[in-house]
Amino acid sequence: MKRTPGLAIYAVGAYLFLHLPLLILSIFSFNSSRFTVWEGFSLRWYSAALHDTQLTEAAWNSLIIAVVATLFSTVFGTLCAYGLWKRNSRPLAGSLYLSLVTPEIVTGISLLAFYQWLFRFLHAQLGVHTVILAHVSFCIAYVVIVVIARLRTVDATLEEAALDLGANEWQAFRYVTLPAILPGVVAAALLAFTVSFDDYVITSLVAGVDSETLPMVIYAIARRGVNPVVNAISALIVIGFGSLVLISERLRSA
Amino acid sequence: MNRRYFLFGAFATSAAGGLSACSRDRRPRLNIFNWSAYIAPDTVPKFEAEFGVRVRYGIYESNEEMLARVMGGNSGWDIVFPTGYIVKPLLANGLVAPIHRDWLPNLSQLEPRFQRPDWDPNLNWSVPYMVTAAGIAYNRKLDPRPKSWADMWDPRLRGRMTMLDDPFDTMGASLKKLGFSVNATNPAQLDRARAEAIRQKPLLRAYLNAEARDQLVSGDVLAAHMWNTTAQQAMDSSPDVGFIYPAEGYAVYPDASVILRESKRQELAHQFINFLLRPDIAAANALTARTTTTNAGARKILPPDFRDNPTLYPAPDVVARGEWAITLDPATQRLRDRLWTEIKAA
Amino acid sequence: MNRLRAWFLAPTWTVVITLFLAPLAIILGYSFLTRGVYGGITSPWTLESYQRLIDLIYLEILWRSFWVAGASTLLCLLLGFPLALFISRSGRHKNFYLGLVMLPFWTSFLVRTYAWMFLLRDTGLLNTLLLKLGVIHSPLPLLYNEGAVILGLVYGYLPFTVLPLYATLERLDRTLLEAAADLGAKPWAALTRITIPLSAPGIRAGAILVFIPCLGAYLTPDLLGGGKSVMIGNLIQNQFTTARDWPFGSAVSLVLMAVVMVMLFVIAPGEGEGLL
Repeated sequence: MKRTPGLAIYAVGAYLFLHLPLLILSIFSFNSSRFTVWEGFSLRWYSAALHDTQLTEAAWNSLIIAVVATLFSTVFGTLCAYGLWKRNSRPLAGSLYLSLVTPEIVTGISLLAFYQWLFRFLHAQLGVHTVILAHVSFCIAYVVIVVIARLRTVDATLEEAALDLGANEWQAFRYVTLPAILPGVVAAALLAFTVSFDDYVITSLVAGVDSETLPMVIYAIARRGVNPVVNAISALIVIGFGSLVLISERLRSA
Repeated sequence: MNRRYFLFGAFATSAAGGLSACSRDRRPRLNIFNWSAYIAPDTVPKFEAEFGVRVRYGIYESNEEMLARVMGGNSGWDIVFPTGYIVKPLLANGLVAPIHRDWLPNLSQLEPRFQRPDWDPNLNWSVPYMVTAAGIAYNRKLDPRPKSWADMWDPRLRGRMTMLDDPFDTMGASLKKLGFSVNATNPAQLDRARAEAIRQKPLLRAYLNAEARDQLVSGDVLAAHMWNTTAQQAMDSSPDVGFIYPAEGYAVYPDASVILRESKRQELAHQFINFLLRPDIAAANALTARTTTTNAGARKILPPDFRDNPTLYPAPDVVARGEWAITLDPATQRLRDRLWTEIKAA
Repeated sequence: MNRLRAWFLAPTWTVVITLFLAPLAIILGYSFLTRGVYGGITSPWTLESYQRLIDLIYLEILWRSFWVAGASTLLCLLLGFPLALFISRSGRHKNFYLGLVMLPFWTSFLVRTYAWMFLLRDTGLLNTLLLKLGVIHSPLPLLYNEGAVILGLVYGYLPFTVLPLYATLERLDRTLLEAAADLGAKPWAALTRITIPLSAPGIRAGAILVFIPCLGAYLTPDLLGGGKSVMIGNLIQNQFTTARDWPFGSAVSLVLMAVVMVMLFVIAPGEGEGLL
């Protein structure tokens, strides 16, 4: 496939646009002064960030929540997308559609109201579990959309051929369609993870005493003004995930 | 494949559950929900050490944020710190536990005017903590310096002014400028205040709360509608920043601690509030958070330059100009909210 | 097929019913109730919240939200498509490039928004640079306006177009493009006549994924717009917090959802279900 140089140049520009603001933030995370004026190299903000138990706890919470929520929403969503692709279900498709259309604040408030009503009978409280459930709820639609878009490009006759050759429906899905849509599933999982890890609005409404997440802490810090600790955190996250992506790339090509 | 996913998922969930269980401590726990930067860093550790308990300390930036969490009655928090005018709504919704005054020997440390506050004359439900007020923070290079709310309508400051992103405060400023009360309920007065605010809007850079602090310090902003605690923080960072309480008067917001009815640790909660009322603790809190304390005993032991700080502890004639913010009735609340929407959308 | 399909759909149905539809029903109920004296919900049942909505100011707010969301979506698609195309053609390194797109977005959305505040302020990097270079003589008011909001939204939601576009483009049959080349078509023609039309599902998916959150956004307009304008998201958020008027907030939310559904069905009839 001939590579068009124009496209590559554009891609460089696009990646610069995406990464430059954060790069600049990261550079200033080493600034010993808290202002935009460069005053010298310093690691004090990193030290502050890592020693802040609230921050590290929140980061851990965010990670656990995102991993679990991604797992469930990707699995459920992929299966659902496949089912809908085979034969549409208007009520389900419509509901998923609706869940995308609903503003986050509304989803958050409605879930809060729901939990509060539920907890009158269950004697439970808001916590990590309520956040995970909320995340699964809004991530599924994203997964379904991405995977279905991918399924649309798959040749349906391939499965028919498999069935003709003696496979049952489960095997047709598992060995024919699933591998074909796997890049789409991975993309959907990445999207779900991002949406979950990043969420502020819904999480802040349904989180409990013990389930503060990273966006919540960052918002609290950043609300009070420019704080290089936020810069340090973002740099750490970028490095952390960057390494993850690199490692997964290595494993993939190994 | 499906089974593998399921197993992995089950493992992940149980791992998460197990991990969170491991971190659980056996000591009694107290969950405290307070405003951000409103306590000295060592207050909670001191309490934990002295009483052999563990405290979870959460923070919020607005009453509404706190309210949204505790409205359901099962938020998990034991103590919250509402502003005075929020105590009534909390009470009306059955969320507050009564205060046992005999469990709070340090109550006598409070200043006399806070022993019988408007919103809770017998301190049956709340215990005053700190006081905040709104005024104008400005860059000292401005000549002449702002003295009144009317100065925030000065065309010379176009694009270099900010007002608080708070309906009560910003409408309050307009109301005061027109000579009305910050708690005005008269629709005609409120409408005139709305018109004033809309007149001011083109001159504003933005509606900002604590964010304006850094911009004031850096010189982007020359005059900011600001709470005195935020202004004090700005003044700590830069000698170029000053603060005044406007001549027409200003709104005052007392914050109080309240024990939630849902709390299963009422006695421990009282012990914490009593701890906060200790003069040395209250003084440390006020000093590090740069706030005005309601504790007379604490005021006595504050360092002189802090005790006489005009921003946080203004002279009596300035104090007299202040007006307590009170709970508004629902009809007024709705009208004000509608007017605020109009101002923001203008 | 039906049994397998039932099993496949069951988990999602459970989640949707318990964690989405039931809560929504509660909100629907709230919209017909009255605000409690100091917030919260009480009887009686009333249409008052909806009646209050019939007002020019709310129409204006809706219009502004549509405009901002629409502009952001368009920009996201225009910027995202070439990038997705690039990634889909990058052979072995696809996942790496994909990860590179996602990387900024694993920092908090708030952090990314603050990055723009950092850059666009009067004393921020952009203005400082322009001043040093002598291009301008006094700082440009880059922040606290609608343009900044759109920029922030585009920056925040770009991957939501890249991912679905990539998912569709990756599966594109290359032989079609080869055939077009054989028939003498220039690359640009192949792009506009073959690639773009065939990636329509991805485009639609991306458009939906960006337009909807942008419509209901309130953090970005608040932080980058300086709180000077009201979008629907701000209005709703205000009702549920400062105003403590849940019935009205619920009514606004439901009306917003209805408006969007109508709009989507009008613009893309039949696509509504076709999308999912």
